[in-house]
Amino acid sequence: MENEILTMLLDQAVRLLDAEASQTRLKALLEEPGSFDAALWGKAVELGWPAIAIAEESGGLGLGIGSLAPLLQELGQRTVSLPLASGYVTAAALLEGGVAADVAAQLASGQAIATLALGEAGECGLSPAVVFSGGTLKGAKAPASFAAVATHALVSARDGDTPGLYLVDLTAAGVTRDVVPTIDNARAAAALRFDDTPATLVVAGWNALLRHAGVAATLVAFEQIGGAERCLRISVDYAKERKVFGQAIGAFQAIKHKLADMYQELEIGRGCAIDALESLEEGRGDFLMLACTARLGAGMAYDFAARECIQTHGGIGVTWEAEPHHHYRRARSLALEIGGAPFWRDLLVDGQQILETV
Amino acid sequence: MNDMSTQANESLGDYVARARAWLDAMEPRFGHEARKGLTVDQDLALAREYQRLKSEAGYACITLPRALGGGGGSEIQKILFGQEEFKHDFPTTYFTVSQGMPIPMLLRYADKEIGQRLAPPAIRGETIWCQLFSEPSAGSDLAAVRTRATRDGDGWRIDGQKLWTTWAQYADYAIAVVRTDPTVPKHAGLTFFWLDMKSPGITVKPVRKLAGESEINEVFFDNVYVPDSQRMGDVGAGFRVAIETLMIERYSVADDACGGPTLNEFAKLAANSRINGRAAIDDGQVRRALAEAIVERQGLRSIHRRALSAIAEGKEPGPEGSIRKLRLARRRQAMGELAMDLMGAEGMLLEPEGTSTLDHVWSWMDVPGARIAGGTDEILRNTIAEKVLGLPQDYRPDKKVPFNQIG
Repeated sequence: MENEILTMLLDQAVRLLDAEASQTRLKALLEEPGSFDAALWGKAVELGWPAIAIAEESGGLGLGIGSLAPLLQELGQRTVSLPLASGYVTAAALLEGGVAADVAAQLASGQAIATLALGEAGECGLSPAVVFSGGTLKGAKAPASFAAVATHALVSARDGDTPGLYLVDLTAAGVTRDVVPTIDNARAAAALRFDDTPATLVVAGWNALLRHAGVAATLVAFEQIGGAERCLRISVDYAKERKVFGQAIGAFQAIKHKLADMYQELEIGRGCAIDALESLEEGRGDFLMLACTARLGAGMAYDFAARECIQTHGGIGVTWEAEPHHHYRRARSLALEIGGAPFWRDLLVDGQQILETV
Repeated sequence: MNDMSTQANESLGDYVARARAWLDAMEPRFGHEARKGLTVDQDLALAREYQRLKSEAGYACITLPRALGGGGGSEIQKILFGQEEFKHDFPTTYFTVSQGMPIPMLLRYADKEIGQRLAPPAIRGETIWCQLFSEPSAGSDLAAVRTRATRDGDGWRIDGQKLWTTWAQYADYAIAVVRTDPTVPKHAGLTFFWLDMKSPGITVKPVRKLAGESEINEVFFDNVYVPDSQRMGDVGAGFRVAIETLMIERYSVADDACGGPTLNEFAKLAANSRINGRAAIDDGQVRRALAEAIVERQGLRSIHRRALSAIAEGKEPGPEGSIRKLRLARRRQAMGELAMDLMGAEGMLLEPEGTSTLDHVWSWMDVPGARIAGGTDEILRNTIAEKVLGLPQDYRPDKKVPFNQIG
């Protein structure tokens, strides 16, 4: 039954995205800082996408986190930006922390939109300098995706030496939202500043913060895998069609081997993402380490695919009209949103003993 | 020992547990410690004894019939047993080719009586078969073989030279692909035979590899007689039979480290090495290399696990399994180089008793062949590009030209 609902949802998703996510519309979003496709989001809400992974008793459809992965992969293929991963991660953190169940329900129904405000200037990883004290937050976060349109933010901050995740209602006092130009304006990014802004502790401690970031990394990995799949497909198609020196460029080993490498990176990244998701669903102790490999594997796959997709397309690849730059932008923005690769590599190496013994 | 090979309704978990227990029991007689300091001849004798016990227990040629000495089991059991056996350093290498390809092909293509007579001793380890495919001018391009077979009464006379033949120096029999018609294009003029390696006119010369050991050989044919009854498949069908041979191991098992030290061993070395007085494991370059290797290993583990599920359900595994050797051989070489870097000048030391699985230097020394054998890196990339991605085949000017007119 659940499988049937999921199949139906995915069919609807593919139809909707194919109809709505035209190149023209995607390019228009890239033009202006802080862009958001509110019309598409409205349709996604009608179809229940924000609710699918959230438990029924909390206002969701209860299909489990595994249901979000293929949907995000479809979004990733088309470089469609919707706040599904950030909404799920925020709702799951709220439910785990036993905080603001009403906001979790609003996230499930699509009335609320969440941004994950995890980055800060001068920090590659996730260690926060924003301070929580006496019930309010003080400090500045780096640009966060969907912050331009979000109703709520899940913010990393520290209370003394203890890092944690905090919920902020973005209509509250002391919130400054600066919409900023980014490499990928379709992500609706804004920088958030808090000046004695009321906030609620959701979960405390470095391990809890990392675990929720790991959930975000695992979901985003499927978006990255979708993007890398699309880059590989359009590169292969172009290599078969484009002729130089009397033959298709896909007959030259320089191109064949490049695309074979792209395929390898994709499959390794996919494998890491699948394993991390499985560990998360089963509640296993190796989850954070597998989330590190998903973050790194899928990130490498998409960066490689996006970069070499442009290269395979040659001159056409560097034009605004062509598709590859959408992925070039998206691959990097997804790679930066929840901590850079050096940070996740560090975590992975420190914990690699865990993977060796599992 | 009882016949434990076919236990009805045994779960795969139980099968693995039983295999583990059996392998553990074999460890004192055939493991790393028992093999230390043996000459190759002594090791081969030990290997034959292990093989005999394997056959009795139903773990030799697991997918072949019990009546022939095989295991009467499934593909998935064979893979799972192989994974467990890998964890021990047993002397299995002499039989990998012999039992992997020639014996199943013999049973498919030779006269029934011949298969029933020759397969059992090969499965028990009493005889060894080799595979006479590659030649000096035919490696990646197998269809370019020049070794000739010409008609002679009821049989054929073979002249020419094979190269890179694994364990030919110990082989009793062989399968071979040779050219029977040079006047047609190269793929069409080949025929497949089995032959007795003791036939007059066969000379085997071991080839010394760069790291010193010599499991590979040159095999010379001087007017060697082979009866037509030893032909496998039609005259002119040799290329197809050869490809079928290479496809038998549709899912080959190679360990995570491709026969080199594990990443855990590398991490230990990095923890005990210093760069400018600081622990190498704290160095960003070392951490990056280790992290990327772990990510790759995890991706490949996932692919492997999904392939095993597919095979267990009777489905074909996906094409992504084909990237495993390509990735792991290169990774082993890169990690070997980095390990030696961390050891500094001591990285030059070649421990006389060292082995590739335990020693970073030996692993590096012995890895180049892994990037060549079983498909070079370049051929494997071409195969992914053509067979998986559907890109055009390389330009092949000799493809439709009669073999004897190729320049």
